[in-house]
Amino acid sequence: MKPRRIPEGFWWVFPSIAVLLALSVYPLIYAVKLSLADRRNFTRLVSDRLFLTAGAQTIVLTLAALVLEFALGLALAVLIDSLARGRAFFRTALLIPMLLPPVVAAVAWRLIYNPQFGVLNGTLRRIGVNTAHLTWTSGEASALASVILVDVWEWTPFLFLLLSAGLQSIPPEPMEAARVDGASAWQIFRDVTIPLLMPTILLALLLRAMDLVRIFDQIFILTQGGPGTATETVSLYIYRTAFRFSNFGYAAAMSFVLLAATMLFSRGLLRVMRSR
Amino acid sequence: MKRTLAYAAGLLAVLIAVAPVYWLITISLKREVDQFSYPPQWFGFPATLDHYREAFAGGAFTAYFGNSVALAAISTLAALLIGVPAAYGLARFDWPRRWDDRLGDWILSTRMLPPIVTIVPLFLMLRQARLLDSLAGLALVYTGFNLPFVVWMMRGFFEEVPREMEEAAMLDGESRGGALLRIVLPLVKPGLAATAVFCLVVAWNEFLFALILTQTEAAMTLPVGIASHVTQYEIQWGVMSAAGVVAMLPVLFFASAAQKYLVRGLSLGAVKG
Repeated sequence: MKPRRIPEGFWWVFPSIAVLLALSVYPLIYAVKLSLADRRNFTRLVSDRLFLTAGAQTIVLTLAALVLEFALGLALAVLIDSLARGRAFFRTALLIPMLLPPVVAAVAWRLIYNPQFGVLNGTLRRIGVNTAHLTWTSGEASALASVILVDVWEWTPFLFLLLSAGLQSIPPEPMEAARVDGASAWQIFRDVTIPLLMPTILLALLLRAMDLVRIFDQIFILTQGGPGTATETVSLYIYRTAFRFSNFGYAAAMSFVLLAATMLFSRGLLRVMRSR
Repeated sequence: MKRTLAYAAGLLAVLIAVAPVYWLITISLKREVDQFSYPPQWFGFPATLDHYREAFAGGAFTAYFGNSVALAAISTLAALLIGVPAAYGLARFDWPRRWDDRLGDWILSTRMLPPIVTIVPLFLMLRQARLLDSLAGLALVYTGFNLPFVVWMMRGFFEEVPREMEEAAMLDGESRGGALLRIVLPLVKPGLAATAVFCLVVAWNEFLFALILTQTEAAMTLPVGIASHVTQYEIQWGVMSAAGVVAMLPVLFFASAAQKYLVRGLSLGAVKG
């Protein structure tokens, strides 16, 4: 067999490979070892009520936030795209929520949501709404929806920005051809614009979904998973298991469920990126 | 009529986007007696800088701020130093059997790992190396976190530079490294700057790693400092809002500086925008 030469470019990439092996791959193997130290870690997963609750709530949160952010982001992108002037202003101003440190955004929403002295109930009372039952993040029934609302506020700008860029990169000819053929504005949007926008839509949804399943910062500040377990998510439960109860093995086992979901999204993502 | 309606809807969206941030700013400027007065005061309250003074004049937040600045700067620099050559290597050399794409995909996929998966092993590793609660430990983790992003983004920017540029320089006796430094890097300077800004912002905003890997003023960052004040029994809203405002200003500044590349960075290079 002919000895194979190491490609010249390898030495340029080598330091990065070494760092990533040490800081990503090795920890991953370490996590496998930790989780396998006690086989019961994996059997416990399926019977752990709290884990199942956290999992279900993470799915609900991800899906609800994704649908709302996509619908609002697309509507905003189309709206701003149709304006003759001031597009740069709108684009800049609408991005602010997404750029803030998530911790700061969550602090602002705690100030807003507080049932007694928060500005939301204060404003509602001012216009004559009875706010006695509006408990937002402190009510068991409304906490998850309130957390979703914060995420929608914070990340609709992301969908808006990507879809907006997608819209601008579509050539105008297909739309004009459809118009000449007598298609209505809605028909053009549904049958021409959306299919052309589809790669961008997929990309944006996958990127967002990947971040949503691991949501932590906002909930940690807003509710710490409460009241009760109303806003407990997988990330929060893993955090608590590892760093409050020092059960590293079980935390590692749970984190692989999250990893599996992420891999599902990232494979799709790489495929979308490749086809562009 | 339709146009007016469109503008009204756009302005309403802007109002919703900005109002919570504006409210945070007013709380940071209000005296304690005015903070939660009813009805809510959006304008015309007596303003004070007391909360800023309390948070930053010798207070713990000065240390957090310094830590955040140091961490963002060091980890960004390190990620660029390690990642830019890798990006160049993937973009420019001939790789057998598409190994450039395979390596690139693998590098990108490490970026997609949820932090909560690696945080437990990293915590134990840093504890063993006695690097818990140190700037060095957290800088290491942030460098690893930003590195895939640097490689992926810079590879895209390098591929947009025609090969002939550096081939001509190398024919004139320039070495490969010299051609990169003197010919190619100046051409991708805006992309390099945008990539650096993204790393800075990610390190500045990061919360989970910092929460777990730091405990004291020695290494705690601004987001963790703010969070530790929220979860305390008695919350000093003024001080916390002031710290929050200070934490968000650099991000807004940097983001507006890199606005041209925002779409590209946020989509991991997939949308050239």
